[in-house]
Amino acid sequence: MRWLRYIIGLLIALTLHTLLDSFFPNALAFFNPYVILVVYYSMGGNVLGAIIAGVIAGFVQDAFSGAIFGLHAFSLTVCAYAVAYINSRLSLRGTWAFGACLAGAVIINELVIYILVNILLKQRIEMFEQGLLVKTIFTLLFGMLVYQLLTLFLREEPIEATKRSAGW
Amino acid sequence: MAAPADVIPRRPTLLLIVVLSLLFVLMSFSTRTRYIGETRTLFERTVMTIFSPVPKLVHWIGGTTSDMYHGYLDMRRAVAENTYLRNTLAALTTENLKLRQSEGDLRRLRGLLGYSEQFTMQTSLAHVLMLDTSTRFKSLIIDRGTNAGLEVNDVIVNANGLIGRVVLTTKDMAKVQLITDSNAAAGALIERTRRQGVVRGDGASGAQMYDVPSLADVQPGDAVLTAGIDGIYPKGIPVGTVVKAEKGQDLFKSIIVRPAVDFGMIEEVIVIHTRKIPGDVVRYAP
Repeated sequence: MRWLRYIIGLLIALTLHTLLDSFFPNALAFFNPYVILVVYYSMGGNVLGAIIAGVIAGFVQDAFSGAIFGLHAFSLTVCAYAVAYINSRLSLRGTWAFGACLAGAVIINELVIYILVNILLKQRIEMFEQGLLVKTIFTLLFGMLVYQLLTLFLREEPIEATKRSAGW
Repeated sequence: MAAPADVIPRRPTLLLIVVLSLLFVLMSFSTRTRYIGETRTLFERTVMTIFSPVPKLVHWIGGTTSDMYHGYLDMRRAVAENTYLRNTLAALTTENLKLRQSEGDLRRLRGLLGYSEQFTMQTSLAHVLMLDTSTRFKSLIIDRGTNAGLEVNDVIVNANGLIGRVVLTTKDMAKVQLITDSNAAAGALIERTRRQGVVRGDGASGAQMYDVPSLADVQPGDAVLTAGIDGIYPKGIPVGTVVKAEKGQDLFKSIIVRPAVDFGMIEEVIVIHTRKIPGDVVRYAP
């Protein structure tokens, strides 16, 4: 069930990606729906599942963007692991906690990408700090809105639906 | 039994390292292939193929929605344009009808004018007000009378030929006896042989030619013209065409003539103000 939710979320993220690419070609520079999906899934505290979710979401994002294939998979996997690891210890719940995790994930994601691009392509991302700030704000706002909607729709803590009953 | 609980958390970390290492290798490979022009690896193509229905579906929905929206706008525009074009078509059709009518009138009047120019006598145009061809007495009434200089025995023709003669005048109207009237007669000749005779109306829709000898050469299809010998009709006006010519009961042929004029289609006529033969000349007998 949780993987079904993840797949649906991934399809929605890809749909958003496609729509934004179609109508606002530069919108993904300020907003990342895949991070929201990965954070939402990883907050269940399932580290292994989070890694797989991060890799898959990253591959999809890489496949439909012009980035080096594996770049977003790498960064999202790191984010997913970090969020899942923290939540396996602290079990954060609520919109604000989700927002905090999401903000942290966006920052980590962008930093990892920045570093990898520097290493692999020996290039520097222009206006990285401004981009990071804007992307964090927009992704955070949208992510928290989605989280609120999910709370209303599911009538329970959304993260509970991503938890495994036992094991990792 | 605490070992599994300790081991489990470590496995994802190990897995993370392995995964990240593999991803780094993949990225390195991708980075290298970018420089040789092949930007899509097999793995990347596979991922794209698996998830390609989503962008296609989004594009299809977007395209369909856009088409529907623009189709709706186009439809509204087309409806407005259609209404405008229908109105324009109606106006143009009306104008076209008027022009056709004018063209027909012009052609007919030109014919009349051209025909009237054949005569050296004074002519005038008149419109037909009434036409009575239903009885044995065939007549029509025109909108010109004595005020326009019409007199009894003025000849009425149109572009096709002889119609008849004026038999009654008022100030602004005149009555015309058609050549098909049973009491009408005109001196006539066969155009081909110049054989003369008298054309009389048969009281129906045709006429007959009398006083043509049995030995005269008359064939169906011969044109019959006025002969100009009766003191009323000028010479050379087409009267009709011989339909049937055969030996009669006495010394003359029986000739049936179809009038040159279709009396059901007369709108305007030419009045030929013929030069009248004075009564004294007619009456004089040495």
